[in-house]
Order: sequence, then structure tokens, then C-alpha cells
Amino acid sequence: MQTAILAQGIGKAYRLGFWGSRKTVLREVDLEVGFGAIFGILGPNGAGKTTLISIFTTLLRPDAGQALVLGLDVVKEAGLLRQRINLAASNAHFLWCLTVEENLRFYGRLYGQGGRALARRVGELLELFDLGPHRRVKFDNLSTGLKQRLALAKALINRPEILFLDEPTTGLDPEMAAHLREEILRLNREAGLTIMLTTHNLREAEMLCSEVGFLKEGRLLARGRISDLQEQLGLGDHLTLIFKDSPAPLDYGRMPGVLAHKEESSQVELVLDRAEIRLAPILAAISSSSQELAEVRVKDLDLEELYREITH
Amino acid sequence: MKLPTDFHKIWAFAARSLLVNRRNVFAVFEMFFWPGVAIFSVGLLTRFLKLDQETVTFILIGAVSMNTIQIAQLDLSYSLLYDVWSKSLKHEFIAPIRLGHLLVGAGLIGLIRGLVVFAIMGLLSMWLFAMDLSRPGLLGLTLFLLGMFLNAAIIGVAVLILVLRFGHRAEVAAWAFSYLLLLLCGLYYPVSILPPGVRELAELIPLTYFLDYFRHFYGFPLISPYPLLYGFSQSFIYLLVSYALLQYTLKSALKRGTLLKLSE
Repeated sequence: MQTAILAQGIGKAYRLGFWGSRKTVLREVDLEVGFGAIFGILGPNGAGKTTLISIFTTLLRPDAGQALVLGLDVVKEAGLLRQRINLAASNAHFLWCLTVEENLRFYGRLYGQGGRALARRVGELLELFDLGPHRRVKFDNLSTGLKQRLALAKALINRPEILFLDEPTTGLDPEMAAHLREEILRLNREAGLTIMLTTHNLREAEMLCSEVGFLKEGRLLARGRISDLQEQLGLGDHLTLIFKDSPAPLDYGRMPGVLAHKEESSQVELVLDRAEIRLAPILAAISSSSQELAEVRVKDLDLEELYREITH
Repeated sequence: MKLPTDFHKIWAFAARSLLVNRRNVFAVFEMFFWPGVAIFSVGLLTRFLKLDQETVTFILIGAVSMNTIQIAQLDLSYSLLYDVWSKSLKHEFIAPIRLGHLLVGAGLIGLIRGLVVFAIMGLLSMWLFAMDLSRPGLLGLTLFLLGMFLNAAIIGVAVLILVLRFGHRAEVAAWAFSYLLLLLCGLYYPVSILPPGVRELAELIPLTYFLDYFRHFYGFPLISPYPLLYGFSQSFIYLLVSYALLQYTLKSALKRGTLLKLSE
């Protein structure tokens, strides 16, 4: 896997006021993200998510460490890098008195586009985000959902190789948030766009991200594929077997994929690495032991559980 | 330098300034109402005081210069303030632009607006108060205008530095700097009447020399032997220093997270 984003020992502190003390926001963050990934940075408010994404997007200089995006140093080669990345943030803000189309044209020109090529690109984006009917509406008169769509359209104006999204669905109604998530997934699948997003919405990360990193108080506590993290922490899907009489006399602990087990009267609780592939052999073993099951319950591991485990 | 690409980036700021000015009723006020009020009030005051034509011209040159510089610098000053007000500053600086694109683009519209204001005020002065704008000749007029626009650029860049450093709090500077010049450069009076200490300060401001140069065509003695040399030298030095300071302030803003704070 080629590396799209590489961070080594990133540290950042802000001075509080003119004479004030320094508040450390990021501490020795190491990170590697491959091309084509959707990488989610998760963490509570104040964890340093926006600070980290701002460093990758050249809007903030790190105090320590080095960050390479597309192989370019975010400090020394910021000018070159800016041509190849873009950002959409929550609570989209653009010039109030320009229309949707004028805002897109303005940002397109900032990337050196003009003439027919710019007109074509603006047209494509208006169509892609269904903004065509609103092209002559001033930014101030747009609904929150339309503003967010404009933000995403603006973020694609230069055909970026990496798209950074800072809490992209914050403030949107559930329907609009779901629509935006679909767009993000489509951009990743169809255009092969590498996406890094920050969120504190764990469900969103679960739906979108191929990999996640957990940030707390400026430290990256864990990162990787959700399934790998689950395995590292011994967390898994919960399988509850309720028998009509006594449980089947089986050695559950020795069964493949069983991370933990507990037996209580007529009930057996198992923690499995992956319920979808372990369930069938377990049920077959129970069936062959002639014990009758009254109920089977499966609860997938959710990211929230993983998050709690890592951040506490 | 890739010319077409740079042209589009410069045009982005120029086109945006044009659009905002076109849609902002206050921009029309800035260009027509206040300069008109200035010429009428100052001109009528000179009538009431029964001043001779040379003194009237002296004062009207001050009024015309003041308003021309004020309008010309506003587009530069506002170029970042628009983004601060709309909280979109980070989107501008995530794009591959240089400060030069912003300065040239917004400055170009400032120059055009300044020229329009100069033309309106000049014509009104000629028509209503018998001021002879043709006396310095085309070269004299062009050099004076160039001097004024250089001063406007210096003020504009100084305001941008304050905006990048202090954000919203620097708004007031967009107007205040020009009035400070009014006080020091002898817009309505010769700098020779300024108290000691303040006069030396006036000599550090290039506009003092350009006004001195332009007024000498109307019979007023030169205060400096080489007003154009002093005026242009100071202007270029200040412009270079202020541009370097602006670059430094941007770097500092990238370190301090100011761009992010101003986008929240």
C-alpha cells in the first residue's frame, strides 16, 4: 500500500492569550494512511482532531515532527501540496453575497482555472451535487444542507487527490447527513479519492471508514482497521445462546474464534472475533449434541464499545 | 511564473471585489456620496471664508487626495476582511495562492475605484470651485496619482497585517489610517504649521512629498528640494517593508492558528 499521508512525531501547542501559558493540543502523533482509504480520526471535542487535519491541509504549522501528504512536506512544500488537496469543513462558510456559482468560480480561479475549463468544472459540480437549481442563489439564502453541499462541491473544484473533511455532517438533519455520507462513499469508490475525515459520530465512522485513529487529549491512542483493533483489544461480537434445558456440554473455550465465554444456568455467552463466520459451526456443534436452543442472540461489536475501551 | 494560472488567481480577487462592490450599496456611497459631500462642504467652506483661489485650490487638493486614497485602499483592506466577516479565510489560504495575487487583484479594483473618485472630485472642483486641474500637466498629474496610489497600497497592506494579526478588531484600521494621514500630511494646511516633533513625523510620510510636489504647480513653495525622489523612495521602501511584514504575519498566523480562529 502506498502512503498518502504520513505523520511522524507531530506536536502542537497554542499560547493562551498574549502572555499566557501554552496548551498542548497534539503530542507525538504518528500516522500512516494509504491511498484510496477513508481514514477517520475519532475523538471527543478538544481531542485535537481539527488541529491535526489543519496541519495536513497546511493551514497550521506543527511545532514538532514532520508531516508528508502525497510525499510533500506540509511546511516546506505547502504551495505544491495545496494544488493537490482540498478541505470541506462543518458549518460551511463562504462569502455571503456571492451566489453558489460565483463562489465556485471564485475558488476555481484560486486554483488557476479559468475560461471554458472552469465553466465546465463548475457545471459538473453543480450537477453532481444537485445545485443547478440554486446556482443563482446567494450563499446567505441557502439552507444548511445546500451550504454543506456547496462546501463539498468547492472541495472538489481542483480535483483533489486527497479530500479532507472536518466533521462533514455536523449540523445536518439525519436525511441530509445520510445523503452526504453516500456522496462521500461514492467519491471514494468511483473516483478512488483518498479521504481523511474527523468525526465524533461513531456510527458515521463505522459506516464510512476503512481505518480509524482514536485521538484523546492530543495523543493517538490506537489506529488501524476496526476489525484489527477489535482483535488487538480482545473485543468482539456477543453471542448469547439460551437453551430450553441445560446448556450443551461443549468446550466453548476451545472453539475457533471464541475470545471469551461464560455459562450461567441455561444460558451461554460467547465473545466471538467474527460472528458471521463462527455462528454456523457453533450451531452445528450444538445441534449434534442434541440440546435444544430456545433463543439465539447476536450483538455486533460497535465502534462505541471500541471507543470506550480505548479512550478510558 | 505560469502567466495564465497567475492571471486567473489575480482575476479571482479582482472579480470578487467587483461583484461585492456592485452589490453593496455602501460601496456606491463610498464612491459617490462621501466624495461629493467632501467637495461641497470643503468648497463651500472656502467660499464662506472668502479665501483666495490659490488657497481654495490648496485645500481642494487635500480633499480630493484624501478621498482618492481612502477609496483606493479600501479594496485592499477589505480583501481579507470579506473572508474574516464570512468566516471563509481558511478556504482562501488552503488554495495555492500567494499574497501577491490577492494584492494585485484587489489593488487593481481599488486603483480603478480611486481613479473614478479622483475624476468625479476633480471635475466637481473644476466646475464648482474653478480649480484648474490641467496646470500640472499630464506628467505632473500622473506622477501625483501614482504617488497617491502607492500610499493607498501601503495603507492597504498595513491594514491586512493588522487583520491577519487581530482579525475583526482591525476593522477600524481600514478607515482610521487614512484619517491619521490627514492629520499628519498637511492635507488642509501646510506641514510647516505643525508643532515641532509632529512635523518630523510628517516628513516620514511619502504623501507629504506628493502633496508638496502637486501644490507647487499652483504657486506654493516646495518644502523639500526633491519631493518626487523622497516620496517615491519612501513609498518603495515602505511598500517592501510592509510586504515583508505581511509575509511574516501570515507565517506567524500559520503557526499561531489565527487562520483557523478567524474561520470559526
